[in-house]
Amino acid sequence: MPEFTRVGIARTRYLTFEFEGTEVPAAPGETVAAALLCAGVTAFRVTGSQGARAPVCNMGVCFECVLVIDGHALVRSCMTPAREGMKITREVDA
Amino acid sequence: MKRAGEDFDVAIIGAGPAGMAAATTIADSGPTVVLLDEQPRVGGQIFRQPPAELQQGPLSIAPGYPWARALIEACESHQNISFRPRTTAWGTFREHPADGRGALRVGTYADPGGSWIGASRLVIATGAYDLPVAFPGWTLPGVMMAGAVQSLLKSQRVRAPGPVVLVGSHPLLIILADQLIAAGGEVLEVAMARGLPTPREMVRALSAIPGHVRLLTSLAGAMTRLRRAGVRISTHTVVDRAHGSDRARAVSLRGIDGAWQPTAPARVVVCNTLVVGYGFLPSVELARQAGCEVRWAPSRGGWVVAHDHQQRTTVPDVFVAGEPTGVAGAEQSHADGLIAGETIVRDLTGTALPARRTRAKAARARSFARVVEWMFPPPLTELADLVDDDTVVCRCESVNAGQIRALLDHNPHVCDVNAVKIECRAGMGPCQGRYCGTTVAAITAQRRGMPIDQVGAFTAQVPVRPVPLAAISGMDS
Amino acid sequence: MTASDRADVVVIGGGLLGAAVAWYLAKEGVDCVLLEADQVNSHASGQNAGSLHFQLEYRMISAGLESARRAAEAMPLHLDAARTWATLSDDLGEDLGVAQTGGLMLAENDEQATLLEAKCAIERSWGLEVEMLDRVDLAAIAPYLSDRVVAAARCPSEGKANTRRAAPALARAASGLGASIRTRHRVTRIERRPGGWHVRGMAGQPSRDFGVDAGAVVIAAGVWTTQIGHLVDVALPTSPAALTMTVTARTPKFIGHLVQHAGARLSLKQSADGNVLIGGGWPSRLARTAEGHPDLSRRPTLIPESLLENARAAIRAVPAVGNLPVLRTWTGTTSETPDQLPLLGPIEERPGLFVATGGSAFTLGPSYARLLAAVVQGRQPELDISSYRVGRFRGAHVA
Repeated sequence: MPEFTRVGIARTRYLTFEFEGTEVPAAPGETVAAALLCAGVTAFRVTGSQGARAPVCNMGVCFECVLVIDGHALVRSCMTPAREGMKITREVDA
Repeated sequence: MKRAGEDFDVAIIGAGPAGMAAATTIADSGPTVVLLDEQPRVGGQIFRQPPAELQQGPLSIAPGYPWARALIEACESHQNISFRPRTTAWGTFREHPADGRGALRVGTYADPGGSWIGASRLVIATGAYDLPVAFPGWTLPGVMMAGAVQSLLKSQRVRAPGPVVLVGSHPLLIILADQLIAAGGEVLEVAMARGLPTPREMVRALSAIPGHVRLLTSLAGAMTRLRRAGVRISTHTVVDRAHGSDRARAVSLRGIDGAWQPTAPARVVVCNTLVVGYGFLPSVELARQAGCEVRWAPSRGGWVVAHDHQQRTTVPDVFVAGEPTGVAGAEQSHADGLIAGETIVRDLTGTALPARRTRAKAARARSFARVVEWMFPPPLTELADLVDDDTVVCRCESVNAGQIRALLDHNPHVCDVNAVKIECRAGMGPCQGRYCGTTVAAITAQRRGMPIDQVGAFTAQVPVRPVPLAAISGMDS
Repeated sequence: MTASDRADVVVIGGGLLGAAVAWYLAKEGVDCVLLEADQVNSHASGQNAGSLHFQLEYRMISAGLESARRAAEAMPLHLDAARTWATLSDDLGEDLGVAQTGGLMLAENDEQATLLEAKCAIERSWGLEVEMLDRVDLAAIAPYLSDRVVAAARCPSEGKANTRRAAPALARAASGLGASIRTRHRVTRIERRPGGWHVRGMAGQPSRDFGVDAGAVVIAAGVWTTQIGHLVDVALPTSPAALTMTVTARTPKFIGHLVQHAGARLSLKQSADGNVLIGGGWPSRLARTAEGHPDLSRRPTLIPESLLENARAAIRAVPAVGNLPVLRTWTGTTSETPDQLPLLGPIEERPGLFVATGGSAFTLGPSYARLLAAVVQGRQPELDISSYRVGRFRGAHVA
């Protein structure tokens, strides 16, 4: 699965958060979206009929990166710094 | 009315070059400034900084903006500027709305709660966002905006998976392709909708804009490096369709003539990331909700906020600076911010700051902006032609072009995008119509044979960004 | 279309009410022209919360039992509406999103519970099916309600309909039966002619004159009713009430009833798409002309305090809605009459002119329309509508 690649600076330590039951690593300072993209996640939002969606704008406009983070709905993962122990799932399409 | 929340002399929404310029100009003269942005650091999109943990060395500034570093550092440390990161402004109100006077109140939200900010002047410097272009397959994971791929690279230091194909009409694409290669990425092709400026055009542009030499030379340097790296740079080529089932795996490109009519059958290029860069849309929702008039300016991105030469909008005490007045680059935004700042300083303190340098800078910026407008205007009406009936137009609510066209055909008197929205839900999702508004307008205009600016825009309602109900309920009355 | 044409009936107003009148008339072969200044459903019909509520509302009981009893005189209309909505989708052959899954009017303390019991007694005396539920009952059928709720009045026939669909569906059905639905037709003159009336105005963009001759004219113009009345020199007393609606992002279905409140302005429901719609009568600010008169050509503006208080009331009743993001608010204007009862019936001083507006015109609209269609054709309406006669305000000072 094609994933994003970390470049530029050495990341020396990682935290982990949970996404849909699986542990995902993130370097301090990374957003949840960036960490998930580096983990090869391509389905952030799953629509009823129209398939999976992934981040498009990375600046908080498109709302395709939204996830349920620690119980809060419709959180833009591209604007959310990853934190140790976060519990993250996809939105359930109403 | 009970005054609650925090009060400042001036509230500035948006910490890009326009907002920062206004903030420092005002704060240097004494009045207090609060500067809001949804991002964690100042800089806006063009000067978007990595978070501290991912920063190594000095601030990374795009070449050609010698004033930017000092401006960023000033905003981060000025004692009269309160920077509110990760804060959303969701609506503007007046203390005495009946007579349109009195202090301004801005509803804000910063997780977990909402609060009011009071000010006697407001500067709307909300920037712009990548123009959403709908085409078959655009909703596949892996299809991303140029600004997204660039900000992920520069401020998150993560590189999109190759092979990468870039499609669009904005010179940013050339710069970005170069940056991806420098970061070790595989770029196959950059497909530009128009021709590239000829050397003669470049020289003409250079002479019009002596202060912008660095920008154009960086463009020329990027093109040279791309060619050396074997990247195909095609012109008069647009995206036809993105292919894939669970994610993008290939893209069809097709040649077009000056009228955007196809000149050759589409050809398929394999890719894991398809970068889209056809231009930018001014972010005018906050201004419209505040009651500011907008004008139609297609060469500057579409609907833009009307203003006078002092950056005043049609709403008293509300100013606008930067891309919401028209997409024209960071120099223009910077100049706008300085002018707005100078005007507000005169309003609040009576002091007239020397304006000659600002005026000269603004004039240069306008010349450059005109060159950019002429070379790379976003083709708003032509982009509707990329859409077929199955193409999703409203991503949030999964409404496709066929449904919109059918509703227009079944309701011959519907000729306004708000009527379309009510009928089919396009624009009713969390992005609040930002990603479908232009396409809905283009389809409606086309079906009705009307100019695109006659079919309206989605009403900008409170909240101009989604805000949790609990955050609103917890605010002071 | 020629410069002047003829119809049996002209209906002024293309909201739910006007479209329904045109449909009921067209069903009986009456030749109908509907004139709508803007687009069908573009005003109050399309902007309200879509509630189908048959219990007496908070604003009717908050002023005491005497005014509640007076408001209850509309109960026969409520009962009629409950029956009418139940079959309307089938009758039209289009899905109007009608869901009558029941309404709950909440009490948070004994005082409110007592008020609800008295309200139920009044309603039952008119034949409405309504029952009181206690905490235990509510925990079983409405677990989404806050622990603060001690009792509720449940009306099984209450619910909702889709405001985006109803008026357009009625207009399409009317048109299919031969009615002529004309949008962007603004009425500016109504003149007496032998045998009826001549309705004139401006149509389209760029505008041109139009004129229609008709034996009868029905005024179904919502907040513009009073203005239209002035065209024939008649006082039709209505005043505009600007209200506020809030809608959240979609979420999986968890609220199965129309929720209202005995002690607060609150109306809350979850649409078929999953959004939660919150209202209840919170005011927004009417636009005003330079002289200070209501300017109905511009949308009212939001009053932040209305948004905040409405949000608080919603969260008090259904705590889980606090987690939902608000996607938009909007304002709309409805027409109110001095005594909260509708204006419904002939305009005695102007034979051949009829009017319907006021009250809860979304819930009761189809009923008003059916009753008025009968009156227009010279028949006795199925229900006694004398309480809603236009002339009841004669002699009283009206603004």
